[in-house]
Amino acid sequence: MKNFEYARANNPADAVRLVGDRPGATFIAGGTDLLNLMKDGAQTHDRIVDVNGLALTDISHGNGFLRVGALARMADVGAHRAVREKFPVVSQALLASASPQVRNMASIGGNLLQRTRCGYFRDTGSACNKRIPGSGCPAIDGENRGHAVLGVSDHCIAAHPSDLAVSLIAVDAVVLTNGPHGERRIPFGDFHLAPGDTPERENVLTHGELIVGLELPLTPAAAKSQYLKLRDRATFEFAVVSVAAALDLRGRTVNDVRLAFGGIATKPWRSTDAEAVLRGRALDTATIDAAGRAAVHGAIPRAHNAFKIDLVQRALSRVLHELGGVR
Amino acid sequence: MSPLIGRAVPRVDGHAKVTGGARYAADTHVPGVTYGTLATSTIARGTITTIDTTLAQAVPGVIAVFTHLTMPRLVTPPSPYPKGFVPLQDATIHHNGQPVAYVVAQTLEQAQEAAALIDVRYHAEPAKVAIDDAPGEEFLPPPGPEGPQEFVHGDPAAGLANAHKKVDATYSSPVHHHNPIETSATVAVWDGDQLTLHESTQSISLTQQIVAQALSVPQNTIRVLTPFLGGGFGSKAPVWPHTLLTAAVARQLRKPVKLVLTRAQMYTSSGHRAEFRQQVTVGAAKDGTLTAIVNISNQQLSRTEQRVFNTSESSWMVYGCPNIHAKQLGVRLDLPTPHFMRSPEGPALVGLEMALDELSYELGMDPVALRLKNYTDLNPENGQKIGNQNLPECLKLAGDAFGWSRRNPTPRSMRDGNELIGWGMATEAHSYHARASSAWVQIDTDGHALARCGTQDIGTGTYTVMTQVTAEALGMPMNSVRFELGDTNFPAAGFSAASVTVSSVSGSVDKAARAARDAVIALAVADPHSPLHGAAPDRIVTEHGFLFLTDDRTRRDSYQGVVSRHGKPVEATGSFLNVPGYTTGASFIEVRVDPWLGRVRVTRAVAAYDIGRVMNHRTARSQVLGGMIWGVGYALTEHTMIDRHTARIVNPNLSGYLVPVNADAPKIEAFFVDKPDPTSPVGAKGFGEAPITGVPAAISNAIYHATGRRIRDLPITQDKLL
Repeated sequence: MKNFEYARANNPADAVRLVGDRPGATFIAGGTDLLNLMKDGAQTHDRIVDVNGLALTDISHGNGFLRVGALARMADVGAHRAVREKFPVVSQALLASASPQVRNMASIGGNLLQRTRCGYFRDTGSACNKRIPGSGCPAIDGENRGHAVLGVSDHCIAAHPSDLAVSLIAVDAVVLTNGPHGERRIPFGDFHLAPGDTPERENVLTHGELIVGLELPLTPAAAKSQYLKLRDRATFEFAVVSVAAALDLRGRTVNDVRLAFGGIATKPWRSTDAEAVLRGRALDTATIDAAGRAAVHGAIPRAHNAFKIDLVQRALSRVLHELGGVR
Repeated sequence: MSPLIGRAVPRVDGHAKVTGGARYAADTHVPGVTYGTLATSTIARGTITTIDTTLAQAVPGVIAVFTHLTMPRLVTPPSPYPKGFVPLQDATIHHNGQPVAYVVAQTLEQAQEAAALIDVRYHAEPAKVAIDDAPGEEFLPPPGPEGPQEFVHGDPAAGLANAHKKVDATYSSPVHHHNPIETSATVAVWDGDQLTLHESTQSISLTQQIVAQALSVPQNTIRVLTPFLGGGFGSKAPVWPHTLLTAAVARQLRKPVKLVLTRAQMYTSSGHRAEFRQQVTVGAAKDGTLTAIVNISNQQLSRTEQRVFNTSESSWMVYGCPNIHAKQLGVRLDLPTPHFMRSPEGPALVGLEMALDELSYELGMDPVALRLKNYTDLNPENGQKIGNQNLPECLKLAGDAFGWSRRNPTPRSMRDGNELIGWGMATEAHSYHARASSAWVQIDTDGHALARCGTQDIGTGTYTVMTQVTAEALGMPMNSVRFELGDTNFPAAGFSAASVTVSSVSGSVDKAARAARDAVIALAVADPHSPLHGAAPDRIVTEHGFLFLTDDRTRRDSYQGVVSRHGKPVEATGSFLNVPGYTTGASFIEVRVDPWLGRVRVTRAVAAYDIGRVMNHRTARSQVLGGMIWGVGYALTEHTMIDRHTARIVNPNLSGYLVPVNADAPKIEAFFVDKPDPTSPVGAKGFGEAPITGVPAAISNAIYHATGRRIRDLPITQDKLL
């Protein structure tokens, strides 16, 4: 690991300036992913700006929404009463993430910026278009059991690793930022980017732009929501596939619904096509199956990950049957 | 007084370990130490064409950068050095992750930064990575230390032809890695021509021997110290290149050098369990009597070593069968040399135990009854007893505790909500070797005893168990006895591997302690100031630090009294060569499977073993817990993924290589037959590796019982059950 400079920010403007000034600078909050990336040589920075001193840890009620500070810890948000009651999918996604130790350290803002678990990305001895643009993607013809089938490109098929992000896209969260060009409100669906031909760009943040919080709108669907994470061991492991569903039923009819998926896509993946299949229809096994088929439409399987296309439909079916009380 | 041996004594080193007081190799502080780092190859096969170290050498603090052009020349040690070559001696690359440069700097960070700046250019050749990459290239390697690679007994073809029912199936398991929590570390300190190595090794004696060979120095100029080891599981049993290179670099620079392998480097530097594939054919008569066992296996070898490390003893040792054919083929691939991994006898047994489960269904016979019908206590190689006579008792102990008699054998016959429940079992078996050991015991004038043996505690509890053995032989309380190990200045012992430590070392420690006790008794009866003066030595017993006359307990003396009047410590030594043997048991597993999602949970495990006399019920149980939990990993999660084009390991870390976590561990019950082995002075058998050998098969068999799906390729990930 290369030596770097450490600075501590006293307020958001200070933080933005300290990073914005220096092309090689970055923010650090919990550091649970950043430090590993730096030790592995997958990411290098010449300045680390510690934002842990900023007053961005509050979880508070606004008018029709819950506001979560970017520096609130995963464990605290997952256990927060309002989050559990009004956004169960978010609480469940957080508590299904990582380990208790990591959840105690890791921040909400940092969670959204964690990098992919693709082994080629994290190995400096391998080519990777995300790490070194133009060097190639060995995963496409390589060990791709953990990789994405949706949102992929010829340059990158790395899966986005965050559970939290999948749950947030299912509750129409808004990302609040403060950057060199002022404050921004970014709808969650616009925040992450599919790789396309610039897999090194994973979100719309500009250099020096700091996530300061999230807004979670209170909706009937969000209050009746669920997260199902399937993985290769019982805990402390990333999703093979995951499903976040928020469902507003009127009688047996779907009034509103959000469906999002993890483990199968290059970014937190919302399927408006699958939602459209359900909206206005009676929730039954046939419509659920049709929604599953719509969700994976256009998926591109590789040598080792084709099973995800089947498994994610099964997971969606399980969640909607449970959430909708369908027998 | 109840015996100390057997008692569930807590670990004597437990407090030091949980408070950070235990110093591991990398913790060793040496004044003026410098830091080594390896730069490793990014191709698997070919040659280095150019290597430019200019930028690396310019990093502040860098002391030296050694490449194959500048590294001191070393001798490639003979077997058991398992690598077949020493890196940094020429331009040839034998596997991805091979050291191509050794950087030494004032700080670790400087060394790491410099290592990343070395520019290596290669002429790369295509690499073969998996058994499937080399069809038809398998061959029968020459005999190894365990004997020939092919074993034929009776007429296997006729045995199969005469079978009432047969199973013929192929079973496979991927590359696995040991993943000890402590990564390998070496601190090399030269003082003139004397070398001290602070080393994370399962064998200080072998380290001394192999380093001496590589450096062409006398063995007695090297001292190796390993007071604590943070796990090894076979990865630290041999001596690997990083130790040789560190010793050589430290000698060249005349500075102490510390090298700690990274987790990723552990995946290419210290062995792995080879990819394994076996075709198992078993036949039986109508009553379940086996008529033939045929086990033809194939496993990965490296380009530089052809020793077979996944061995097939279980094909002829566990079950008596008149017709047996075992053949251990290998195929050379462009991967690092594999090695033993707890347990090398596991992979072959996993296939056999799955095949027997399949056979039990073919026969319509209970799987336990099939084992009881066929187990043997005779080795067909020589007709000698092997120590498997208590397998029926193990099957009964564990089977009764598990509730096996309530099992309905029909697949998918038990359900709870979304989950199917399955019960499976397997025999567990492991041989243990013979190893010579010697020990030294001293009783001081304060009545305390010190015992020393050049063995290792690899985390299994050697410190504790040998303290118990010493205390019991002397007749002293545990807290009067101190046991020391891990120093080549102590009387020598073998490696701590092949399940041999307790069965070997307990013998010499017991003998040394009894000799010291006898010497103190001799002093007492000869001492006019002793209440025991003039007594016959064979009528004196020692208990709790005191010496008593057996028929008049009012006549007593103490170790402290006798030795303090003697005025100087009493010393004795003991040597012992244990009798090799075989340790068996049985594991019973319950799984719950969500068939819609393919999700498997192991919810209950019960096992029983014949390990001779139990030395310490707590550490023995720990050994079972470790084996069971690791068996869950073997069956369900563990898999080293290697890129088929580059031969680079894609998951060389504990994030990508999934060992089980606590939430994966079932409720585990362990039972022991607890009958002394007559060949051991203290009744001990070798045990360490036996628990795990059958667990993956028992889990797979339970999954079949739950779902009706027979998965013969491990690990059984959820995609295989959809």
